[in-house]
Amino acid sequence: MMKRYDAVVIGAGHAGVEAASAMAKLNKKTLLTTLSAEAVAFMACNPNIGGTAKGHLVKEIDALGGVMGEVADKATIQVRMLNRAGGEAVHSLRAQVDKNLYHRLMKQRMENTENLDVMEADVNEILFEGNRVVGVKTAVGDTIKADAAVICTGVYMDSRIITGNYERATGPAGFMRSVGLSENLKRYGLDIRRFKTGTPMRVLSKSVDYDEMELQPGEEDLPSFGMLTEGEVRNDCPCYLTYTNEETHRIILSNLDRAPLYNGNISGIGPRYCPSIETKVVRFKDKERHQIFVEPEGADTYEMYVQGLSTSLPFDVQELMLHTVKGLTRAKITRYGYAIEYDCLNPKCLNAALGIKGYAGLYSAGQINGSSGYEEAAAQGLIAGINAARYLDGKEPVILTRDSSYIGVLIDDLVTKGTEEPYRMMTSRAEYRLRLRQDNADIRLTELGHAIGLADEKRYAKYLKKKAEVESLKETFDAVRFKRKDVSQAGIDLGESSKPSFTITELIKTGVGIADIKKLLPELDSYMTDAVTSAVTDIKYSGYLEKEDKRVAEESRLNGYKIPCDMDYNDVEGLRTEAREKLSEVRPMTLGQAGRISGVNSADVTVLLIYLKKKRY
Amino acid sequence: MSDVIAAISTARGNAAVGIVRLSGDGADEVASRIFFKKGFDFKNAEANRMYLGEIRAGMVKDRAFCMYCRAPKSYTGEDVIEFQLHGGRVVTEAVLEAALSFGARPAEPGEFTKRAYLNSKMSLSEAEGVEALIAADSEAEAAAAYRAMDGELDKTVRAIGSKLVKATAALDVMLDYPEEMIEDTLPEVRETLGEVKTALNRLIGTEKERKMISEGISVVIAGLVNAGKSSLMNALCGADRAIVTEFAGTTRDVLRETLEINGVKVSLSDTAGIREGAEGAEKIGIERAERALAGADLVLFVMDGGEPESDEERELYSKICKRPHIRVKNKGDVGDYPREADITVSALTGENVDRLGALIAERTGIRAMTSPPLTRERQLHAAKKALNAVVAALNALKTSTPDCVSADVKEALEALYSLTGEDAAESVVDEIFSRFCVGK
Repeated sequence: MMKRYDAVVIGAGHAGVEAASAMAKLNKKTLLTTLSAEAVAFMACNPNIGGTAKGHLVKEIDALGGVMGEVADKATIQVRMLNRAGGEAVHSLRAQVDKNLYHRLMKQRMENTENLDVMEADVNEILFEGNRVVGVKTAVGDTIKADAAVICTGVYMDSRIITGNYERATGPAGFMRSVGLSENLKRYGLDIRRFKTGTPMRVLSKSVDYDEMELQPGEEDLPSFGMLTEGEVRNDCPCYLTYTNEETHRIILSNLDRAPLYNGNISGIGPRYCPSIETKVVRFKDKERHQIFVEPEGADTYEMYVQGLSTSLPFDVQELMLHTVKGLTRAKITRYGYAIEYDCLNPKCLNAALGIKGYAGLYSAGQINGSSGYEEAAAQGLIAGINAARYLDGKEPVILTRDSSYIGVLIDDLVTKGTEEPYRMMTSRAEYRLRLRQDNADIRLTELGHAIGLADEKRYAKYLKKKAEVESLKETFDAVRFKRKDVSQAGIDLGESSKPSFTITELIKTGVGIADIKKLLPELDSYMTDAVTSAVTDIKYSGYLEKEDKRVAEESRLNGYKIPCDMDYNDVEGLRTEAREKLSEVRPMTLGQAGRISGVNSADVTVLLIYLKKKRY
Repeated sequence: MSDVIAAISTARGNAAVGIVRLSGDGADEVASRIFFKKGFDFKNAEANRMYLGEIRAGMVKDRAFCMYCRAPKSYTGEDVIEFQLHGGRVVTEAVLEAALSFGARPAEPGEFTKRAYLNSKMSLSEAEGVEALIAADSEAEAAAAYRAMDGELDKTVRAIGSKLVKATAALDVMLDYPEEMIEDTLPEVRETLGEVKTALNRLIGTEKERKMISEGISVVIAGLVNAGKSSLMNALCGADRAIVTEFAGTTRDVLRETLEINGVKVSLSDTAGIREGAEGAEKIGIERAERALAGADLVLFVMDGGEPESDEERELYSKICKRPHIRVKNKGDVGDYPREADITVSALTGENVDRLGALIAERTGIRAMTSPPLTRERQLHAAKKALNAVVAALNALKTSTPDCVSADVKEALEALYSLTGEDAAESVVDEIFSRFCVGK
């Protein structure tokens, strides 16, 4: 019997589940395929969700009506807020997540979603009529009819894992890999590349001497990822900190000839931000020690993740170096570290909607697009799912701008600049960092999520309430005035200011924080915590935000100029050859995107602008 | 592909040499219908050489030089042909008209430079340096423009830029890897920003120099009547500009002459001598002299060495001594009444007049002009914007959080890189990974 769906998602990792769930919620009959039902939303590497910039992504996914945040909250076993010293803009929620629980909850959620089927299938061919997707074909020869497909193969395409001179053609953690799809995509003229990443060893908890390490407990009273999550998240499984030492480094350096990264056995391009321990030791010879965090893989297992020792050194060397580390001298390895090489797309094959250029109904998301990380994958999955659904409805795609979200920055970076290594989100990639905060993710995005049809009424109502609170708080902050004496008596340091009285707004601008403001305005406690944070932070950053506003306005002006997708750049007189080539490669959707392509300068944008105006596009 | 543009690239007016320049694909075809030389053909001509031949343009026939630069090794990156003609409007305009009639089109203002920039022959700041060069009418302005063209401004800007990149990376690594930064990078950031502030101040400090170059400086010669001010002016200018008589009070008005010292335009004003009881035209002259004094960048206070010091002279000096000035004892050849002076000259014999010129250069800061001045308003604007942002960052270091500091530093970096047209974002990410060992 021929199966027939509106859309099929290939791969049920962190990108796939978001894409499938978004399409299903948007009333598309969706099939989510996976090589193994045990691998749905499997966390193949670190046991955490969130962290710098990634925490922002999760909040944004949640604000739009995605699933990662809510499921992460339910599977959390410890939570911390990173970067408190850096300022509110970079405060980043990071949760230790029970891997098995996360997988099970996400799988259940997919199974319980209306319009969505989950099925084990090895999809190895996309079927087209002309340039239009009409279905997919599986390795056993089944054809599934569908008008849209979202490819979310993660690190599974033609992957191979390597430890020392041992290698095996397999996906991560022993899961089967995807064979044939990569070849199929190549046949359709897509630019396939080989990237590499890696994971450290896991050790048995009872063989670890925790007394020798620094305890890293969770923090209390933190917000959750999910706006609709109710009650406290679980927070009772600590992490531990220890360090490598000279002996560890000596062992690594004396075995470099057996390291696949250095003896030529690995050719894939690895990420700079996620280096193996051998790379760290080689590149930073002067550094006497490197941090290692020992983190629980879950609450139902004794396995611990050894963050910081990602490696593909041979098994015996892994053993030797691990045993030099304080607290791990008698640690028993349960799984060895390995490197994994996989096929992925050059993200310049994609447009800003995450559609594959030159084809209709074909989308991709996650590590196949050259990114790295669960959160980056989920964010893309959500957008690819939304846009595949909108394609089926004949609607314009949703494109998030760089000033709206980290998701916008992530996708724009990938499709406009491309990447030469697995791309990780970092706050420093966001030029509008001060406005893209966790506390205001819903204010930035829930309106849009609601308009798209993903953010439900409950979420929308909560957003409206918060927005109203933020506005009312700002009014109050401007209106109430406190005498200098009263402010001082509350124990608030007024610094060098000599004014006789202050509004809260003025106090915030002199650097007074939320805790101190509460002393003057105890009624703040009756507001939503995030509303207070947003109101105070907006005021604190107001000078910067006003400056940014001008840039945002200029950028949205350029983003407003649409470039037709069949634009012939050879026809545009006055473009430099380099710009002509780059523009033809990227095929930007707007003039704003054109200007962000490296190798396209402002003069080229002017030339394009004049051309577009002349042609009255 | 670009069309052929043509322009007269020397100032219109009477000069010894006039230049008509062509640039674009097919410039040689246009030129071959204007320039003739026996056995010479543009098709196989050697590039970057001067050819002496004959120009035929309408009614005009003249001997002329022709220089041919082939793409991409030319100023604009395209085929460029330059005709060096006899000056004057007749010949240059005839050649331009001929070029236009043979298919070239008149160049827009700055279009040669724009093409050079568009063909990646120069960075944005170099392109602007060239624009300034075109307008330069003195040696120093040309030198400043050249320095920019040589990329000296680029070099200075890059040096400051790399410091800002370093500071940004030190901040961002802390913000992106809060768990992994063992060492506190804020002291390093503070120190680097301090250095950048100094460097930017130096760069902007040249605003004065820039003004000096484009507007020149004003030197006023002052002194009692008959101290020899006009003679000194004549000596400095090397021409009999001022009327000189032995009668006191000859100069009734402020006379102005422009000379060039070390390439800087120096506007020299000879004022009426100041004396009590002057009437009529002389009185008006004295009023004008006092006004000129007030606007002077430098005053040459001239004393008559052939006369003893008087109360009048002392009183006048008391008005001048608060302004930048040089005390010049004149008539060194006539008498030797003692005076406190910075220099003794003889306007009559020319003795020490050269040294006075050098002294003027020194006192006005012309001599100290070492760093390449910012030649364009836009560059200055960008540098000032960068400086303001750096000052804000240093302030935010004290009162705010690192995310705010980073916003300021990035603003500075972007303002600075707008001079060279580079992208700051990627440099920062690269710097983070090359300097810090971060990542799980």
